[in-house]
Amino acid sequence: MSILRTEHLEKKFGAGNQGGAGVVAVCGIDLTIGGGEFVAITGASGSGKSTLLHMLGGITRPTAGRVLLEGVDLASLDDDALALVRRRRIGFVFQRYNLLPELSLVENVSLPLVLDGMSDARADEAALAALETVGMEHRARHRPDELSGGEQQRGAIARALVAKPAIVLADEPTGALDSVNSRRVVELLERLVAERGQTVILVTHDAGVAAAAIRTIRIQDGRIESDTHGVPHGLHTPTGGGA
Amino acid sequence: MITFGRLLLRQWRNRPGRALATAASVAVAVGAVVATWVAADASRAGYRRLTETVEGVPSIDVLARGGGRFDVEKLPALADVSGVRAVVPLFYRPTILRIGSKRVREIAVGVDAETLVSLGLLTLTSGRPCLGPDEVVLDTALAASLGMRLGDDVLFFARRRVSRLEIVGLAESKSMRWFAEGAGVIVDIAALADMSLALGFIDRARVVLEPQASRPHALEEIGRRLPAELLAEIPAGRSSMAEDVLHSANLGLDFVTGLTMAMAWFIVGNAMLMNVTERRRGFSLLRLLGATGRQVRIFVTSEAAILGAVGAVVGAAVGLVAAGPIAAGISQTLQAPDAALVVHPLIVPLALILGTAIAVAAAWWPAQEATAVDPLEGLSQAPPPPRGVPLRFVTLAVGLWIVAASIMALVLTERLPPQAAVPAGIMMLLAFVATTPVMLPPLARALAAFIPHRWRIEGTLAVEHILRQPVRTALTTGVLVVAVSNGIGLGHAIRDNVDNVRGWYGRMMRADWLLTHAGMISAAAAGEGPKTKTAEEEVRSLPGLQSVEGIGVATGRVAGQACVVVARDISADKPLPLEPVEAPEADVRQALARGEAVAGTVLARRTGIKPGDVVAVEVFGRSTKVRIAALVVDYTSGGSSIHLDRATARRLFGIAAADILLVTAEPGRAAALREPLAAIADTHAMLLRSFGDVRAFIDSIVNGVVGSLWAILGLGFVVGSLGVANTVTMHVLEKKRVLGLLRVVGMTSGQVTRMVVLESLILGLSGSLIGLLGGVTTALFIQLASQPLLGHPTSLSFHPGIVAANLAAALAVTTLAAWLPARRAARLDLLEAVSSE
Repeated sequence: MSILRTEHLEKKFGAGNQGGAGVVAVCGIDLTIGGGEFVAITGASGSGKSTLLHMLGGITRPTAGRVLLEGVDLASLDDDALALVRRRRIGFVFQRYNLLPELSLVENVSLPLVLDGMSDARADEAALAALETVGMEHRARHRPDELSGGEQQRGAIARALVAKPAIVLADEPTGALDSVNSRRVVELLERLVAERGQTVILVTHDAGVAAAAIRTIRIQDGRIESDTHGVPHGLHTPTGGGA
Repeated sequence: MITFGRLLLRQWRNRPGRALATAASVAVAVGAVVATWVAADASRAGYRRLTETVEGVPSIDVLARGGGRFDVEKLPALADVSGVRAVVPLFYRPTILRIGSKRVREIAVGVDAETLVSLGLLTLTSGRPCLGPDEVVLDTALAASLGMRLGDDVLFFARRRVSRLEIVGLAESKSMRWFAEGAGVIVDIAALADMSLALGFIDRARVVLEPQASRPHALEEIGRRLPAELLAEIPAGRSSMAEDVLHSANLGLDFVTGLTMAMAWFIVGNAMLMNVTERRRGFSLLRLLGATGRQVRIFVTSEAAILGAVGAVVGAAVGLVAAGPIAAGISQTLQAPDAALVVHPLIVPLALILGTAIAVAAAWWPAQEATAVDPLEGLSQAPPPPRGVPLRFVTLAVGLWIVAASIMALVLTERLPPQAAVPAGIMMLLAFVATTPVMLPPLARALAAFIPHRWRIEGTLAVEHILRQPVRTALTTGVLVVAVSNGIGLGHAIRDNVDNVRGWYGRMMRADWLLTHAGMISAAAAGEGPKTKTAEEEVRSLPGLQSVEGIGVATGRVAGQACVVVARDISADKPLPLEPVEAPEADVRQALARGEAVAGTVLARRTGIKPGDVVAVEVFGRSTKVRIAALVVDYTSGGSSIHLDRATARRLFGIAAADILLVTAEPGRAAALREPLAAIADTHAMLLRSFGDVRAFIDSIVNGVVGSLWAILGLGFVVGSLGVANTVTMHVLEKKRVLGLLRVVGMTSGQVTRMVVLESLILGLSGSLIGLLGGVTTALFIQLASQPLLGHPTSLSFHPGIVAANLAAALAVTTLAAWLPARRAARLDLLEAVSSE
């Protein structure tokens, strides 16, 4: 069953209102992602993979085409409705973790639920459960600056999962991690897909990380160059990111 | 939401400087408003006290609209009007007293003397109040000059008969001044009206007010109750100068208070904007995680409300503490010790509400901005791109200019009262601030060209930082623009006013010695004519005189308007003591000699009198037509005056006596005249003053008012400085990461210090230059706004000293304000700075 579908998706930057040429980051992408899929989007820097992910997550609006998440056209929603969709149906994981430095890990994780009006106690409970899933419950009361990069990223994954989203979008989640931590993160994502049937879309330029996915979509100059399905060979030797 | 509250608390704990600076900005703003308010109240109380000293008893007159006497039955009940202490019917009658072989022209006033004494409105030095038709009370000084005592008889010539009246009481001259209008004889009102064949009629009813009563409100209420044939007005001649000073000073105080409010708004607005801008990344993350715009808005405004309330509490306390010495200083300057710290009971609660409300209102726009933050911005490591000048600022500026100019035009054409010029002036200054984002970039670049080559990098970066956030920079400079505009504009207005008043006194009172009646020097003071007439004869008989000029003053009415009639000797060998408007001095001199009159510009404006008109002037019930030869710039009775040659005044109105004698000695003999003049003054209960004394007295009044305005202006500057210091501190806090990166890539701490100071200096200079434009416009605005009050065009003179002082103060403030934050920036922990989110 399809969770996410795009139709002729297109994004131009710098085109302005007068319809100037601008830069085409994503061009005419048609894509269907089914439930429980683990999809890796790969491509060189500037190929448009992150822009595609941002459109899939309702962070950026397409210039043309549609993104349908569980049948809802994201382009038809206003800003606040989009915020609700992001809060309830999409989980985000970023390269730089993006935890709020002022809050403890459990508070960071519970934030989407609190924003949704859940009581602090219930949100805390759910956040602790999510942290348990990623093996971080013992660090729940620590603040981000007291955690390693890998721990922060696992915390960020817990935040992405806490609202039980339809889809998790991860943008270079291992980009800032060493190889050991990269491996842990990817294993975690794999486990989520395998054990919970969580749909995950992962953007990476790391072939090792991409190899963990069941399906790999390669983007070149804003277009799908290839879309391959196969059995993941497991996470064996991710090359890891930088810092 | 507890997590939001926790987030807020943690953010404050992580960045206490930012939260403190934001709360401090509210404290500065609220403190400024409280201190200005209290200081302005102290000034008003001081002015009121000054007015009372000059005026005596505050009152309102009720009289016949068409002039002349009116039936006392037409007078409605007024005693129950709020603030009214008593209603005193008055009946005036010119008469002749015969004492032995001496005949004296006098004005008799009919009153209910017993009631006046019982109310403490008339003080007898001896005897008792007159009760019946055969009794009289004399002014103590008049009785002394005539050699009369209690129990003596005088012959009183009236229309019905000649009566023999017994002197039953002697009244203190000072206590008669507020109702006697120059009269020295008090008779029972019914008896005097009967003797004048006018029983049941009165000339006017003087409504005495409580000291704290609002005269405008009482005037309005009394006016509402009167029948069509009667009108209520503030008595002319007795208080007008003080009243006018009070009026103008009140306008000035309103203006300064309004500007302080505007500054407070800029300071808080800027702090809130910076507070939000610094956390754009955090807000974008919240948006990314699904926070709605409303949630972000509530977060920002709740924080503003909390910080605003805390700042308001601190500000109100600091404002009250600061206001104490300022108010005491103002009271001392105004010589009104009672006027020290007046704290209106509403000040503190209003300040708290105001502080919180301003903080929330000022956070509204930043909250909108935070709501509109692009979620992607949070993912980007790059700073947000530079922002252009929003079109709405330019539109706002143009709109404010149009509204201000329209209001001003309505004030000039007298469709709106002069008070309306205050909000218009404030709007105009706000328009200047709103145009700052447009004017700032070219100005900042031009100023940067003057930075020495060896500081090129620091200068370039400083300008870039300034131009990156034009709106925020405009708010910072806005504080300075307002402070400098205020200082230059009001400074010029104050200087010009002081110069005008001093110049006028210099013309009016040019002499070596002045003989006047006790208590005050004011041509508006009613004098006791006959006494000085004798004094004048004695003075004229002294040797060593070059000239003696007498000035007689009486209250009158022209075209339904109260005025004073000034009769004065015009010496041919001295410059004309009046300043004609658009008429040659020689022509005015000739016209006065021919028996024509000149009118003060204010009276002309109020009545529509033009040169060449023939108008009916009523003095003591006698109405006489006189031709107006020209208009003159005059401050006697606030310019509501008619001037005549003394001979003409004697002929037309019977104003024979001089209330003031101006004595000019032959060269080198001024000192020798002191002794004989002092002897004459003693004999006639008059006051002898040298020209220097008079100047000092006038200066003390003018300086008091001016001093209080300067004090409040100074307070505005201090507030501006604190605002700028706070803004620069926040600016440095916000740029911690950028400054750290600059240090990492090799900028020395000295270079960082220079860059921050240069940035502040460029801001200060830009603000000062825009403020200079605003100040000149403000001065012009005030000058135009005062024209309807004065009735004549006033000239705007340029005072480089005031401009230089303001610019120097602004630059000193900005440099000092930047120094500490700059040093702090230079000492940043690099690791902490570059890792700061």
